[in-house]
Amino acid sequence: MMAQLTRAERTNAMLITGIGALVGLAMAVAGRGDGFGAHGWVVLAFCALLFFIVAGALEAPEPVEDRASAYYDDPTRVGILLALVWAVVGMGMGVWVASLLAWPDLRFDAAWSSFGRLRPVHTSGVIFGFGGNALIATSFHIMQRTSRARMPNQVLPWFVLLGFNLFCIVAASGYLMGITQSKEYAEPEWYADLWLVVVWVAYFILYMRTLARRNEPHIYVANWYYLSFILVVAILHIINNLAVPVSWTGAKSYSAFAGVQDAMVEWWYGHNAVAFFLTTGFLGMLYYFLPKRAERPIYSYRLSILSFWGIVFFYIWVGSHHLHYTALPNWVQNLGMTFSVMLLVPSWASAGNALMTLNGAWHKVRDDATLRFMMVAAVFYGLSTFEGSFMAIRPVNALSHYTDWTVGHVHAGAMGWVAMITFGSIYALTPVLWRRETMYSWKAVEWHFWLALAGTVIYVFAMWNSGITQGLMWRTYTESGTLAYSFVDTLIAMHPFYIARAFGGLLFLAGACICLWNVVMTIRHVPVHVSARDYPTDSEANEPALPAAE
Amino acid sequence: MTILVLLIPVTLAMGGIGLAAFFWSLRAGQYEDLSGDAERILHDDDRPLKPARQTDDQKTGETAT
Amino acid sequence: MTGPVGFSSPLARAEVLAARRPDGQGRSRLLLSVPGIRCGSCVAAIERTLSSRADVASARANLTLKRVSVVLESADADPSPVIDALTALGFPATPVEPGAVEADDPAGRELVRALAIAGFGAMNIMLLSVGVWSGAEGRLRLGFHILSALIALPVVAVAGRPFFRSAIAALRAGRMNMDVPIALGVSLAVLLSLFETAQGGAHVFFDAAVTLLFFLLAGRWLDHLMRERARSAVTGLARLSPAGAMVRQADGTFAYLPLADVRAGDVLSIAEGEPVPVDIRILDGHTDLDRALVTGEAMPVPAGPGFEAEAGTRNLTGTVQAQALRSADASFLAQMIGMQAAAEGGRGRYVRIADRAARLYAPVVHVAALATFAGWLVATAGDWQTSAFVAISVLIITCPCALGLAVPVAHVVAAGQLMRRGVLMKDGAALERLAEIDRAVFDKTGTLTTGLPRLGPATGDAQLAGAARALALRSRHPASRAIAALDCRAPEATDVTEVPGSGVEGTVDGKRARLGRADWVGEIASVPADAQSPVFGMADGGTLSFALEETLRPGAAEAVRRMTAGGLGVTLLSGDTAARADLIAGRLGIGDVRSGATPAGKIAALEEMRCAGGHTLMVGDGLNDAPALAAAHVSMAPGSGTDAGRTAADFVLLRDSLAAVPETWTLARDTARIVRQNFALAVIYNCAAIPLAVAGLVTPLVAALAMSGSSILVTLNALRLNRGAPAPARMQDAEAVPA
Repeated sequence: MMAQLTRAERTNAMLITGIGALVGLAMAVAGRGDGFGAHGWVVLAFCALLFFIVAGALEAPEPVEDRASAYYDDPTRVGILLALVWAVVGMGMGVWVASLLAWPDLRFDAAWSSFGRLRPVHTSGVIFGFGGNALIATSFHIMQRTSRARMPNQVLPWFVLLGFNLFCIVAASGYLMGITQSKEYAEPEWYADLWLVVVWVAYFILYMRTLARRNEPHIYVANWYYLSFILVVAILHIINNLAVPVSWTGAKSYSAFAGVQDAMVEWWYGHNAVAFFLTTGFLGMLYYFLPKRAERPIYSYRLSILSFWGIVFFYIWVGSHHLHYTALPNWVQNLGMTFSVMLLVPSWASAGNALMTLNGAWHKVRDDATLRFMMVAAVFYGLSTFEGSFMAIRPVNALSHYTDWTVGHVHAGAMGWVAMITFGSIYALTPVLWRRETMYSWKAVEWHFWLALAGTVIYVFAMWNSGITQGLMWRTYTESGTLAYSFVDTLIAMHPFYIARAFGGLLFLAGACICLWNVVMTIRHVPVHVSARDYPTDSEANEPALPAAE
Repeated sequence: MTILVLLIPVTLAMGGIGLAAFFWSLRAGQYEDLSGDAERILHDDDRPLKPARQTDDQKTGETAT
Repeated sequence: MTGPVGFSSPLARAEVLAARRPDGQGRSRLLLSVPGIRCGSCVAAIERTLSSRADVASARANLTLKRVSVVLESADADPSPVIDALTALGFPATPVEPGAVEADDPAGRELVRALAIAGFGAMNIMLLSVGVWSGAEGRLRLGFHILSALIALPVVAVAGRPFFRSAIAALRAGRMNMDVPIALGVSLAVLLSLFETAQGGAHVFFDAAVTLLFFLLAGRWLDHLMRERARSAVTGLARLSPAGAMVRQADGTFAYLPLADVRAGDVLSIAEGEPVPVDIRILDGHTDLDRALVTGEAMPVPAGPGFEAEAGTRNLTGTVQAQALRSADASFLAQMIGMQAAAEGGRGRYVRIADRAARLYAPVVHVAALATFAGWLVATAGDWQTSAFVAISVLIITCPCALGLAVPVAHVVAAGQLMRRGVLMKDGAALERLAEIDRAVFDKTGTLTTGLPRLGPATGDAQLAGAARALALRSRHPASRAIAALDCRAPEATDVTEVPGSGVEGTVDGKRARLGRADWVGEIASVPADAQSPVFGMADGGTLSFALEETLRPGAAEAVRRMTAGGLGVTLLSGDTAARADLIAGRLGIGDVRSGATPAGKIAALEEMRCAGGHTLMVGDGLNDAPALAAAHVSMAPGSGTDAGRTAADFVLLRDSLAAVPETWTLARDTARIVRQNFALAVIYNCAAIPLAVAGLVTPLVAALAMSGSSILVTLNALRLNRGAPAPARMQDAEAVPA
C-alpha cells in the first residue's frame, strides 16, 4: 500500500499521525481520571500504530508507474474491508442487545455491558462504522470513475478514511465507558464531534477537488447524491452538536439548547441523518452500481435528477414527526406529518426508477445474487418509505410510537435497504477493486443473500407483530376505565417475538460473516485478472434503447 | 418555538445552496445529453483519462526531442 | 438513394473543410451529425476511436442529438480522415452547418430556471403555510406571512414572466388567451395577500399563487421539451441537400463555394452520388438523374448535355459539368419553400383547443368575480375589503391550473407513445388537427413505394440473367441494384465500365455484353423494337429484357386498409405518370387517383378538398410535396424524405413501415378524447368551486388542495394514454438471451 506514496507523502503521513499521537498523549495526561483521558490513550494508540506502519515503509521503493494513469484504489480497498469488519462488530452487538431483551441475564452484571451502553455501540457500529465506511469507500470509487480522474492527493483520502474510523472507535469505546451526550445517533461527546467536523471538511474538499479535476464534463447523478450527503450531514452535525463542555479536559458537555427546543433540533438532525446519511448516500450507491451490474442505463435519468431535488427539499422538515403527542406545538407536529406524507412521491420515484431499470433484465436478477441484493434493496426502500410516511400520520403514530413497530420500521430500512444495497455494491465492487475475475465463491453470495433476506423478513415480521400487539395492549381499557394490561403483561406477550428477532438478527449476522470471509478469500485466492474495462460488456444490453421514459 | 429562528434560516440557506448548484449545473450544460450520460458510466475504461493539458505537454515534449 | 451525401465525393470533402471552425487557441472544432449513434456503446466506441487519434484533441458524442463534437489538434487540419474513421467504424457522418447549431436552447433554459425558482418558492412557502394551517398563530403567523411575502414577491416576478408577457401581448392584440386569467389571478392573489399581511389578517394566498405558477410552468416546460426533442431529432436526421457547390474558378480549377455564393451562369462540377445544388443545365457529360424527390418520377432518367435539372435532383452515375441557371434563392427548392409559406395560411387559421376554451372561459370567470364583488358589496352594506377578498378568491380558485395542464400533459404522453412507435411529433396542435381528418392523401414515390425499383416476375434464360447480374453487380444505378438482387449465379465480368446515361458494359464469358438502355444495347445485339428498358444483350448472343416495378413500402397496404376501414377517404396524389400511379393504386386498393400533379397542382387538389369542407392528412416525402405538406390540414413525412418535406411535415416517421400512419391517427383520436375529458373534469371542478368561492368559503388551504387535486387528476387521466402501449424497446433484450 505504501508503494503508491512518494517519500514526501510518507513523511507527511508520519507528521500527521505524529501530531495525532501527541494530541492523544496530551489528552491522556490532562484528562487523567476521566473518560477524556482514557480516550487520549485510544487516540495515542491509534495514531502511533499508523505512525509505525508508515515509518516502517519509509525507505520502501517509491512508485515507479505513472500514477495519473491509474485510479487510486488503495483507500477504497481498505475502506471496504473496514466496513465489513464494522458490519460484523456492529451486527454482533445487535444480536447481543436483541438477546439481552429476550434473556436479560446475558449482561453478566457488568456496567459496560448494560443495555443502555451496548445499544449505541450497535447503532453507531452499523450506521457509522459499516454504513459510513461503505459510503466513504464507494464514494472514492464512484467519484474517480465517473469523473474519469484520479484523486488529487494521496494522503487526504487516508486522512478522511482513517480519521473517520478514529471517530467511530472513540465513539464506540466511549459508550462502553458511559460517555454519551444522550442524543440519538449523535451520542459522541464534544471532542469527537469536533474531530468529525475536521474529517468531514477534508472529505468535502477531497470530493470537490476530484470533481474539479474531472475529465468527463458531465457530473453523474450519483455524485450529486453523495455531495448532498457530505454537505448536509456536516451542517446538521454542527448545529445539533452545539454544546458547552464542562471542562476542556473532561468528557462531559451540555447541549446549547434546552427542553423541547433541544428535542426539535435533535430530531431535525435525527431524521435528516436518516435522509442524508442513510438515504441519499446509499441512493448514490444504487444509481451507480445497479446500472453497472445490470449493464443497463438507469430507466429514467431525468427522474433520478428530479427525485434528487424532491428528496432534498421534502426531507428537511420531516423530523418533527418523531415528536408527535409531545410538548412540541401542535402545528409543528402537523407540519412534520404533512411533509412526511408528501415525501413518499420522490421516494417512490427513486424506488420505481431502480426497479424499472431492472425491468427487462429479470433473467439477470434471477441468476445473479449480487443484482438480487440491489433489487431487494430497492423493494425494501419503497416499502419502508411507505411505512415511514404512514407511521408519521398522527393517529397511526398514536398506536406505533414507543412500540417495537418503530424498531421494525427502522430495521426494514436499515437491513432491507441500507445493508442490502451495501452488500450488493461490495460484491459488485470487490472483483473490480482487486482486479479479480469474480468473487471467490458465488455459492457463498447466494447463501448470504438468502440468509440476509430471511433474517430481515423474520426480524421485521416479529417487530410488526410485537409492536402492534404492544400498542394495542397499552390502549386497552377495562369496562371500569382502567388499563387492562400491566406493563409486565406486554413484556410477556412480546417475549416470543424478541426471540424471533434475535434469531433473525443472527441469520443476518451470519450473512455478514460469510461476506467478510468471501471478500478475504477473493483477495487471497482468486487469480488476478486484468481486463480492459471494469466490466466486460458483451451482453445484449448494448442494444439501443428507445427513450422510453426520457 | 424560538429554535425556528435558527432552523428556518439554516434550511433556507441550504435550499439556496441547492438552487445555486442547480443553476450552475444548468449553465454548465449538465443536462444536454441525459440519455448519453446515463449510458456513459457503463462503458468506462478502468483507468482515468489523461487531462488534456498533460497530453499537450507530452506532445510538445515529443516534438521537441 | 436516400443515404447521406456520399463522402467520397469532392463536394462532400469540401463541405467538411468549410464546416470546420477555429476555436482561437490554435485548434479547430467540427460538429458532425451522426445518425447512427443509437446507444451507449456507440458513444463509447466513437469517443475511444477518435480520442486515440493523434490529430484529435478531444471528441464527445451526444446520444440525444446524435452528434459528435470533435476538437482537432491544429486549426488547419483536414478533418476528412476523422470522418473516414467514423465511417469505417460504421457511423457515417456529415458536418452540421454552423447555422444549425443551436444546442443551447435559451427558451427552454429560461423555462427550467423559472420552474426551479417557482419550485423552490412553492416548497418553502408551502412549508410556512402548512405551519399556519396547522395552527401557528399570533406573531408567529405574522412572521410566517412576512417571510412568505419576501419569498413570493421575487419568485412571482421571475417565474411569472412568461405568463405576464404572453398575457400583455394577447391583450395588446385584442385577443384572449389562457394566460390572461392566469396573470390576472396570480397578480391579484399576490396583491391581496400583501394587503392581508399588512393588516395582520389570517388568510394569505402566496402559496396558491406560487404553486399555480409551478404547475403551469411544469406543463409549459413539458410542452417545450416535447417540441425541442422533435426539433433536435429532425435536425439529427441525415441531411440530403448540399450546403455548397464545386464552382469553376477563373483558372479552370473547381473550388468549393457556399450555396449562397453560387451565381447564375457559374459552371459547376457535379460528381456521381451528389445532389444537384441549384437549377442547372448540363454542359458536358452523361449521367442518370434520380428525380423522385423533385417530380415524383419513380425511375431514373438518362441525361446528357442540354438537359435541365432542378435543385434537389440526385446525380446517380456520372460526373457532369453544368451551368447554374438560377442562384440558390431562385432555384426550385426556394420556389417550393415560397409556395410552402404561401400555403401555410390554412393551418395558421387553426386555433388550438386550449385557446378556444380560454375565449369562453375567461369572460365567464371574470364576470362571475365582478358579480361576486357587487353582490357582497350590497350584502355587507359596503364592506369593500371583504367583498374584494371574496371576489379575488373566486379568481384564484378558478385560475385555470387544470386547464393549463389538461392539454400539454396529454400531448406529452402521446408524444412519448409516438416516439416509441418511431414517430416524431413536432407540435401538440398537430395532434389536435390529426384527430379531425376525414381524408388521407398519399404521395406515391418514396411514400407508398420505397423509391427503389425491384424486378417483376422475370422470364428468360437463367444463363443470360446470371450474366446480366454480373454486370449489374458493378453499377450503382437503381435498376442495376434491382437486377443484382437476382438469385442466380453470376459469372466473372471483366473490363466493366459504366457509361453514364446509357448503362454498363463489360466482358462476360469472353463476350462483350451491355446492360442498359434498349437503343444502346441494340448497338451490339439485336433487341426487339418494343423491348422495355433495361435490356441485357451480348454480342452474338441473346438479349433479355427486365421489367422493373416499384417496391411497396412495408405496411403501405395495411395503412391504406386500416384508414379506409376507419371511414377515411384515401387519395393517391402523384407527380408520376398515370400508368405508374394507377398500377400502385390498383395494388393497394385506392380508388381516388390523381396523377401527373405538379407542386402547384398538389396544392390545388388539397385546396379543393379544403373548400369542400374536408380536413386532409397529407403524407409525402419529396421536394414537390413540401408545399402540399404545408397546405394540408395536417401532414406526415417519412424520415427518408427530403429536408424540406421533413421540415414542412407535422409528423416524421422514423421507421420504414407506413403502419405508423393509422397508429398515429388512432392515438390522435384517443388523445383528443382524453383532452375533452380533461376539460370536462376542469369544468366540473369549477362548477363545484365557484359557488363555494362566491359564498366566501374558500380559504387558502381549500384553494391549495383544490388546485393540486385537479392538476393531479388531469395528469393521471392523461397518463391513461399509456395503457395498451407497446412494451419499451428494452424488453427485447430479455428475448434475445440464448435459452
